[in-house]
Amino acid sequence: MDMLGMYPTFYVPEIGSAWVMGIIGTIHVVASHTSVGAAFLFALLATKAYRESRPELMDYVKRYGKVLLVFSYIIGSVTGVGIWYAITIASPRGTAGLIHNFVWVWAAEWVYFTVEVIGVYALVYLIEKVDRLTHLKLTWAFALASWATMLLIVGILSFMMWPGNDSWYLTGSTNDAFYNINFFAHLGVRTGSMLVMAVIVGLMIAGSMREKSPALRIEAVRTIVPMGILGGALAVLMFFYYLETLPYNAKVMLHSHLLPRYAAGMVLVVTITFIYFLAAWAKPLFLRNWITVPLFLFVAIIGVWPEERTRESMRKPYVAGQYIYGNQTIARDVPGKGILSEIEHISKHGILGIHPFIPETLRTVSEENRREVGELLAKISCGNCHSLEPGSPLRNLPDKFHGSTDVELIAAFINGPLKNGSVPYMPRIDLPEQETYAIATFIASQNLGERNRPSMPVDTTQSGATGEQ
Amino acid sequence: MEADVGFILNTMRDPAGIPAPPWLFQVLMVLTWVAHIAFVLVTLGAAALSIVAFYLRHHHPHWQQLSIAMTKGAKIGVSLLIVLGVAPLLFTQVIYDPQWYTASVLSARWLIIFIFTLIIGYCSWFVFYYSNKPEAQTRLGLFALLGLGLFLLDGLIMHVLAYQSLQPDQWMNWYAPNGQVDTRGASLHAIQWSRFLFIISLSAPALALYLLAYADYYSRRSDRPKDYRDFVRQLGRRIGKVGCLISLPLLFWWLLDLPGHLSTSAHTPGWLLAGALIILAIQIDRLGSLPGRGYLLLFSGLIPLGLMALWREVIRVHAMKPFGYDIHDYTVHADLPSTILFFLTLLGIGGIFGGFLVLLLYRAGQVEGKYQADRTIARLGTLSVVVLGLWITVFFVYGFSIWVRHAIGF
Repeated sequence: MDMLGMYPTFYVPEIGSAWVMGIIGTIHVVASHTSVGAAFLFALLATKAYRESRPELMDYVKRYGKVLLVFSYIIGSVTGVGIWYAITIASPRGTAGLIHNFVWVWAAEWVYFTVEVIGVYALVYLIEKVDRLTHLKLTWAFALASWATMLLIVGILSFMMWPGNDSWYLTGSTNDAFYNINFFAHLGVRTGSMLVMAVIVGLMIAGSMREKSPALRIEAVRTIVPMGILGGALAVLMFFYYLETLPYNAKVMLHSHLLPRYAAGMVLVVTITFIYFLAAWAKPLFLRNWITVPLFLFVAIIGVWPEERTRESMRKPYVAGQYIYGNQTIARDVPGKGILSEIEHISKHGILGIHPFIPETLRTVSEENRREVGELLAKISCGNCHSLEPGSPLRNLPDKFHGSTDVELIAAFINGPLKNGSVPYMPRIDLPEQETYAIATFIASQNLGERNRPSMPVDTTQSGATGEQ
Repeated sequence: MEADVGFILNTMRDPAGIPAPPWLFQVLMVLTWVAHIAFVLVTLGAAALSIVAFYLRHHHPHWQQLSIAMTKGAKIGVSLLIVLGVAPLLFTQVIYDPQWYTASVLSARWLIIFIFTLIIGYCSWFVFYYSNKPEAQTRLGLFALLGLGLFLLDGLIMHVLAYQSLQPDQWMNWYAPNGQVDTRGASLHAIQWSRFLFIISLSAPALALYLLAYADYYSRRSDRPKDYRDFVRQLGRRIGKVGCLISLPLLFWWLLDLPGHLSTSAHTPGWLLAGALIILAIQIDRLGSLPGRGYLLLFSGLIPLGLMALWREVIRVHAMKPFGYDIHDYTVHADLPSTILFFLTLLGIGGIFGGFLVLLLYRAGQVEGKYQADRTIARLGTLSVVVLGLWITVFFVYGFSIWVRHAIGF
């Protein structure tokens, strides 16, 4: 029997691997967007300082740059690698799919990333150390290079949602994958957001420079705040456009689960940030970090975290290009790359038959090992999006079945909507009966609770789910 | 899995294939790893020396000055080793994806620990950097020790992942010992101490070469007087000789530690590396005390590093051979536009803007006071902005045309 190229499974109890990814992702987005946005603020201020012969403005840039070095370039660069590691262990096949489609794009981004890291040191340490015109060129080149890293990564992130048309499936061309339907909208949202985040951090820096002249602080604040307002407006506008470029499964997920939970928070973030920007512009000398720092955290936790979670969730059941499911299964043919769907193969042979990382003792379901097999199958098939412990925060499966201990009822869901792929945001999971019942038995036993397991009153014999079939 | 490891290893390759010939990725992987490991070794060496110098600073003012310089060097070095580590990892994932992903999942928690310990270690190093002043209290050295300790732990984690990826026949035993599946990814399953310690030990010769070049670089600066530069040069020479002497036995240990089934040709680069280290030690001894030879010695250090990178790859190729895994079998779906994108970016942005940055930093650092860019630097600066603007323009025009083509269904 032909095995499929599945990897071992990594499972984090309670929160699943998805939250690990989300936490690292949120930290990275905050740090990296701030740094790219700040690069443009620096360019703006450096241009003003050069044109108007106002070198004192560079004091502000220097202070901001040093904070940026510590905050964005340490945390941003490490968590950038961290996201990569996190997706590797959460979705090795999805990551492999992205790498093999976009390796040269990532490699080009690496070139930018390298010059960016050298550039930030040059930018900060060479203020007033080299002539102003040379430094101005350096500042603009640095800003453009920083933005280029965003241009390159957004194409890949957008493809993770979907290509938006059949071209890539037919040609396999990186061009068709990269310039997908929601690329420009997504880029607009991120470009706008980066300016907003950079301005908030910029206001923190201004708030901490109280020993400097009021004129410098006023000038710095009034130069950067309009960028924040424009950036915010761009982000909001492009976000509505972005919603129009989403696939059907994402829209269903968005309207049924995500907007009801996150919309109010997002509106609040936009409103409060806008008001604070206006207040900062009107009264620059009244900036206080006991307000700005909480605002920054507020944007990160109530704005960025839900945004990252939403983007992750909306993609479901896929992790890349609507052809790889979160559970590592290839869900459709991609003739341009010679890729074949694996769903029918799994349907015919089951996961136990085709997965390389199944111990021989678990390849056949028996009365004794049914729960153990079910647990492993649940981790493989469901663990990417669901935790398996009752009451746990990541869409836990036992609670999704309302605490049911009825194996037949649970199996009916797996054999119905899941088998037929009729839930838009869930993968089609078509398994042989013994595997379905193994999963159902495991979920039922989870709902029965740890203390009941030794004498588990789960009757599966009437379902015909014996290991000998 | 037990049935046919080789067959499964090949099945686990990504079905999308790769967008260029496998040898190209292999060459890029080896070359970029040389750049990465060079910064790893210099950084570890500089970090260790900055701590030693910090504790010796009351013996002579030179130690204080050196400690501050090495602390700063290590700080910048960590940034660069991280970013330079991205490329070899990327290219590894292209041609050795089954090995890398499986090894990572099997020790998944350690991969996450890597991220957070690197952040903590780096932040700790920054605390030391900001506090490393003549009046600093001795206990502040603990931040540096913590930073260096965590950097070494991260190095060990990366070593383990690389070593685990060489042993596909063990994966199932690690994932499901006695048939009990363990999805926690909580263990580091295999460590080859000889390999790890040898590579880490090279940080001493690497530091030595850095010190020799450092002494030459600051020859025009009065704030680094001659007696200080001579002190640094002599220290570099001493560390270089002792470092090579320590590295050699570790290298022989690694050679002896290689699995018996590897053919003789797998050992050849290792012996060449031993020869290169001996020559390097002799050169450091001969030329190390002479001003003006620092850069030559620094660049000659790339020879042993290149041999080590080559050797790692030769070992991997030989380790995979019994399983029938050969990267040259990888399905190729050539993708010319994205290949061109990378190489033009490497030349245009890496070459011009990168060149501008490196040259500017190099020259500005050599002078005291303000540096006035000469014509070459000024032109490179202008060209950098122009090339970046052009790159972004082409990116949008080209992309928009494709996007429109998709929109009209053509």
